[in-house]
Amino acid sequence: MSASQPGLNPYLLGGLGAGALVVLLGWLFLSGRIGHGGTSAKLRRSVSLAVKSLWLHKLRSFLSVLGIIIGTCSVIALMSFGEGSMQDALEDIKRQGATNIIVRSVKPPDDSATASRGFVTTYGLTRDDIGQFDAFGASVSRVVPMRVFPTEVRYLERILSNGRVIATTPDYQQVNKLELSRGRFLVEADDTELDNYCVLGAEAADKLFPYEDPIGQSVGMRSHFFRVIGVIKDRMPTGGTGGSQAAENFNRDIYIPISTSRRRFGEVIFTRTSGSRSAEKVDVSQVTLTVDAQVDTPEGRATVKAVGDEVKAILEKRHARKDYDITVPLDKLEEAERAQARFTALMAMIASISLVVGGIGIMNIMLATVTERTREIGIRRALGAKRKDIILQFLVEAVVQTTIGGLCGAVIGVTAVYAIPGAWDVLRGWEWVSGPALPAKLHVTSIFLSVCVSVLVGVCFGLYPAWRAAKLDPIEALRHV
Amino acid sequence: MPAIVRIVDLVKNYYLGGQTVHVLQGLNLSFDEGDFVALMGPSGSGKSTLLNVLGCLDRLTSGQYFLGDVDVSEMSDDQLSEVRSTYLGFIFQSYNLLPQYTVVENVELPLLYQGIKLDEATKSRCVALAELVGLGDRLDHRPLQLSGGQQQRVAIARSLVNDPHLILGDEPTGNLDTKTSVEIMQMLRELNRSGKTIIMVTHENDIAEWARRVVRLRDGRVESDVRNDTRTIAEMGR
Repeated sequence: MSASQPGLNPYLLGGLGAGALVVLLGWLFLSGRIGHGGTSAKLRRSVSLAVKSLWLHKLRSFLSVLGIIIGTCSVIALMSFGEGSMQDALEDIKRQGATNIIVRSVKPPDDSATASRGFVTTYGLTRDDIGQFDAFGASVSRVVPMRVFPTEVRYLERILSNGRVIATTPDYQQVNKLELSRGRFLVEADDTELDNYCVLGAEAADKLFPYEDPIGQSVGMRSHFFRVIGVIKDRMPTGGTGGSQAAENFNRDIYIPISTSRRRFGEVIFTRTSGSRSAEKVDVSQVTLTVDAQVDTPEGRATVKAVGDEVKAILEKRHARKDYDITVPLDKLEEAERAQARFTALMAMIASISLVVGGIGIMNIMLATVTERTREIGIRRALGAKRKDIILQFLVEAVVQTTIGGLCGAVIGVTAVYAIPGAWDVLRGWEWVSGPALPAKLHVTSIFLSVCVSVLVGVCFGLYPAWRAAKLDPIEALRHV
Repeated sequence: MPAIVRIVDLVKNYYLGGQTVHVLQGLNLSFDEGDFVALMGPSGSGKSTLLNVLGCLDRLTSGQYFLGDVDVSEMSDDQLSEVRSTYLGFIFQSYNLLPQYTVVENVELPLLYQGIKLDEATKSRCVALAELVGLGDRLDHRPLQLSGGQQQRVAIARSLVNDPHLILGDEPTGNLDTKTSVEIMQMLRELNRSGKTIIMVTHENDIAEWARRVVRLRDGRVESDVRNDTRTIAEMGR
């Protein structure tokens, strides 16, 4: 739905601008000129005359188009940097898996009292719930359950206290797009054979095995030992994108087979929090469903949403209390895309202010030019130029200025889009500046848009001076010194 | 000879600061095709205004102005431009060349507004005209690189490029020294002999002597209208 929306508006604007321009110029040239046959030749000549008279005052022409140059260049640069940083954010969300639907067990708030008294609280998703998800058939390609134990992990005297032990199935790797740096991830057989195997996140491996090769070593969790069979590649934490999903850092995770976890640790998860003990019976902490769809197509998005709604319906039927939480990253993606569209439009608006200011500069200089060339206008009128010819001459001059300015600005803007991030990286390399990399993605539409707008600015702000010039009385104009 | 210009009861008033100035007060004049007319008179006599009206640059307050058979007094601004472009050639006191253009481009200027295609043929015509006025070796010069007499000759070439029915001169020798003035007037006389109708404004008697007919204005009325064809013939040996 909104896939085409962010791109549509600038195209529409640009198209409208260009269309209006063509109509206006076409009207000027064609009205009364059909039959003489010299229309295009006339235009060419007007343009060459305009260039000639602009060339007479090089510095003045340059200064008067400077505003347009800066305007065009800043429209392109701002929109490109805006686009780049937003795409960065969108990539972040896509990394979470835009086709995923995440259902998590949440402790209902009214149960906090019972928990503190030491009873075992039962809540959250059950294995039966997960069985229900089989009903989706082929549209859901993976259903990955996981149980999370906040527990200490030991190797010899080294302890990783802030790690998360995640019991899950082999599909977890694909769903969360984890890459292995060494060894292998869990496989189906580990689960069925209840093997005590584990896979370490990059940071966990680093903490526990700073010097040794972790593969084949055994780490201790509670009273059991698990052999390390793989290490995950270091990975950027996903950003906390609001809503219920906190930022996830996969680097301190330790993965074990889910059936093994049930057998070794039981159904009840004990946690110790600041002196008090709590015990919770949670079958499944989280389930991630991967929908078999393409998020780049509207149909794919609809499928993801339909599955999300269906999951919600199933869980509402089966759970009296709301002890679960459904997150659809696609919603966030669309929200971010809408935000991007707004942000880009805002950027363009701010930058177009400078185009308008540039236009005022053009108008100012054109008015001065008309006064200065009053005599020339008189001569031309005496030699047979019509009002229309004078309008055309000055309008073409203004449009030629802004068009050249727009094109120069576009070249500078495109150069800036490529050069500034590079220069920034170099400066960061020398440690002269700090901060994240500047993401920039060339916003192609903005080039057409800004050049069209600057041409349009030439027409709009050139019209009044041209009209003033044409309105002059030929005799008065000839008498002008 | 048929009349190329005929004005009937021509009245022209200016409104200056709430006051009406009666510049031309009912002129009746007729100029023949192939004539060479000098309009004379003291300042404020209305000679320049008459020339502007004849040149379709100014509107008349009342009366009629026939250029050939056409009444131009009722024409629109665009139509007047068209008349200037097709039938009239102008020579000004201060030459009025465009400084950014070369000699050839200045000569070409009136063709720009005729809606015809400018090509090699028109270009060679402009070059031929520049050679006719003796500027064949200065085709690519700009006006500021030329002397006053040369500039006025460019202006004469420019006034000829559209092959006009009527050439109007507003003190064409006003800014020139005597020797150059004679050169210019000789050139105008040559043009007149080749069939061009010329009407010029001047306030110098020795310039007016070059014309075949001298019309003197005073206070917006015709004071005298003398043909000095005999004189011109006498001068031919000069």
